Amino acid sequence: MITTVVGNFPKVAEAGFGTKVISSISRWQRKELSDAELEGVFQGITKAVIAEHERAGIDVLTDGQIRWEDLVTPLAKKIEGFEINGLERWFDNNVYYRRPILRKAPVRRGPILVDEYRAAKACTSKPVKAVLPGPYTFVKLTEDRYYKNDSRFLRKIAELLNEEAKALEAAGAPIIQFDEPALGFGKPPIKLILEAIAIATRGVKATTALYLYFGHLNGFLEPLQKAPVDILGVDVASDPQAVGAIRKVKWTKQLALGCLDARNTKLESVTELHALFDVVAKRLPLDRVCVNPSCGLEFLPYEQAVQKLRRLVEAVQTYQGR
Amino acid sequence: MSMLLTTSVGSLPKPDYLATARSRARKGELDPKELRRLEEQATRDWIARQEELGIDIIVDGEQYRGDMVAYFAEQLEGFQTSSLVRSYGNRYYRKPVIAKKIRRKRPMTIGWWKFAQGLTKRPVKGMLTGPYTIMDWSFNEYYPSRRATALALAEVVREEAKGLERAGAQYIQIDEPAISTRLDEIDLAIEALGIVTKGLRAKTITHICYGNFQALAPKLNRLPVDQIDLEFANRKFELLDAFKRLKLRKEIGLGVVDVHSHRIESREEVVANLKKALKVFKPEQIYVDPDCGLKTRTVDEAVGKLRVVVEATRAVREELLN
Repeated sequence: MITTVVGNFPKVAEAGFGTKVISSISRWQRKELSDAELEGVFQGITKAVIAEHERAGIDVLTDGQIRWEDLVTPLAKKIEGFEINGLERWFDNNVYYRRPILRKAPVRRGPILVDEYRAAKACTSKPVKAVLPGPYTFVKLTEDRYYKNDSRFLRKIAELLNEEAKALEAAGAPIIQFDEPALGFGKPPIKLILEAIAIATRGVKATTALYLYFGHLNGFLEPLQKAPVDILGVDVASDPQAVGAIRKVKWTKQLALGCLDARNTKLESVTELHALFDVVAKRLPLDRVCVNPSCGLEFLPYEQAVQKLRRLVEAVQTYQGR
Repeated sequence: MSMLLTTSVGSLPKPDYLATARSRARKGELDPKELRRLEEQATRDWIARQEELGIDIIVDGEQYRGDMVAYFAEQLEGFQTSSLVRSYGNRYYRKPVIAKKIRRKRPMTIGWWKFAQGLTKRPVKGMLTGPYTIMDWSFNEYYPSRRATALALAEVVREEAKGLERAGAQYIQIDEPAISTRLDEIDLAIEALGIVTKGLRAKTITHICYGNFQALAPKLNRLPVDQIDLEFANRKFELLDAFKRLKLRKEIGLGVVDVHSHRIESREEVVANLKKALKVFKPEQIYVDPDCGLKTRTVDEAVGKLRVVVEATRAVREELLN
C-alpha cells in the first residue's frame, strides 16, 4: 500500500517552520512586500512542508497548496470572467472562502498552476501529484451569472480544467487528481458529472484520480466505477456508511482510502487502522489500494497534522511487516 | 403595550485601549487586575452609550470575551487550546480541543451579567453560546459521537442559563450560528438547545446566522426558544419572503443593519424595511436589532448603526400609535 496525502497542509507551524506567512501576506496586501518577495516566502514554506512529508515517510506528495486560499480561488482568480465575491461557508466546516462569480465568458489565458507545480517538484525526488478541483465542485462553489445554464457552465469548466490538466502533465505531473467534495451534498446530477469528468480527463495520459470527501457517498461508488479515472478516493471518516459501501461495490478502480480523520485532532490507533485495512483487503487486493488522510490536513493544527502523517506511515509499515 | 423593542445581538467593539491591553495581557506584560479594570471601564461606557441611545434591552457588549466559543472553552474543564488553524483567507484562530469530560467549574458569565445589570435599570440580556455550536466549532477527542458531545455541553450551558435566571436575567440568548451548517443534524441541535431552555422562565432567544435559510425556515417553529434572531439586512430583506409562506409562531429578532459594511444605513431605508417586515410579522412579535454582533465595526460605526436602529424604530412606533 502506497501512502499519500489529499492536498493542503497547515501554512503555519508555531512549533515548526513558523507563522511568517501571516505577516507576509498582510505586508503584501499593504504593498510593503513585492509579488516576488511573497512568492519567496511561499516557496520557502512549500519546501519545509515537502520536507515534513518526506521525514514522515509519505510516498506520493503534493505541494501542500501553501499559496492557495481554498480549492477554487487559485484558478478562478486567473480565469478571466470570474470576480471574487463575499464570504461563504466551506461545505459543512467552520471555515469560509470567498465565492467567485462568473460574469463574462470564462477565458484561460495560459497555464495557471504550472510554475508552482515545477517549483514543488524541484524540492523532492519523490513523485508529486497535481491537484485540481473537479468540474462539479468548481461549479458548485462558484456562481454562474453568465451562462445561466448549469450543464453548459459545467461543460465549459470541465474543458478549462482539461487544458490545465494537460499543462500539468506536460510539466511532469505523474498523477492528476480532481477533488469532488461537492458530490457529498444534495442531489448531484451524476450522469452530467460523469460526462464532465470525461471532458476534464480527455487525452490525459498521466494517472488520474477522483477524490470524494465530506458529506455522504450517496450510492455514487457504483456509477463512479465507470468514470474515466484510475483512482477513486473515498473518505471513510465523514460517512459512517462508507466502509459498507466500499465492500458492496465491484471495484474496477484503484482505491485511495481516506482512513484518518483530517478534520479532528483525535489520533487513530494503529489497531483500528489495521482492522480497516483487513476489511478493505477482503474486497480488493492491497496492491490496488493507497492510503491517505480523509481530506487535506489544513483543518488541523500543524502538530496534529504531522502526527496523522506519521501514524499513517506507521500503520502501513506495521501492517505489511506482519 | 410593548412593541418593536430594540436590542443588540451581543458583542460590541472593543475600544483601542482595551484591544492593546488584551494583547499585552496575553504576553504577560499586563497585570490581570489592570486588564479587568479596563474591561469594566469599557463595559460601563457601552452601557451608558446604549442608555443614551435609548436601546430597550441592553447587552454588556462582551468586552471581556474574545471568540464566542473559545471564551466558554477556556472556562470549562475538559477543554484544551490548540495551535493555530485557518478560518479563511489570512485569518487564523485557536480551535478548542475537547480532551476530557466537560465540567462547569464555576459560573462563566454571571459575574459580568451582575456587574452590567448593576449599572442600569434597563434589562440586561444574558448571553451564551449554544451547545451545538460549541460542539461543531471544537475538535473532539473524548466523546464517542457528535451527539454525546452536544448533549454533554447542553448540560453545562443549562447550568449557566439557570444561574443567569437566578441572578435575575429576564432575557437569555443562546447563540447557535452553527445550526444552519448541517440540516441533517437539526434534530440534534434542537434536542441540545431544548435541554438548555427547559423550564426557564426567562425569555429565551437564539441567534442564527450564515447558511441556507430557505432550507432552515420550515424548522424554525421547532426550535425550543421564544424568539429567533436572524440577519435580514445583509440579505436585502429577501428572507421576509420565506416568512410569507411560513407562519412563525415565535417572536422574531429582526436584523435591520448590516454588520459587515462600514456604511451607516439611512433612517429612511431602515424605516422602509421595518414597514415591509410589519406586513409579515405583528408589531408585538418584532424585536429590532443589528444583523449580528457589532464587534468587527469601529466604536463610531457601531454607535452610528445602533442610533439608526433606535431612531427608525421610534419613527415606526409613533406611526403605529397614531
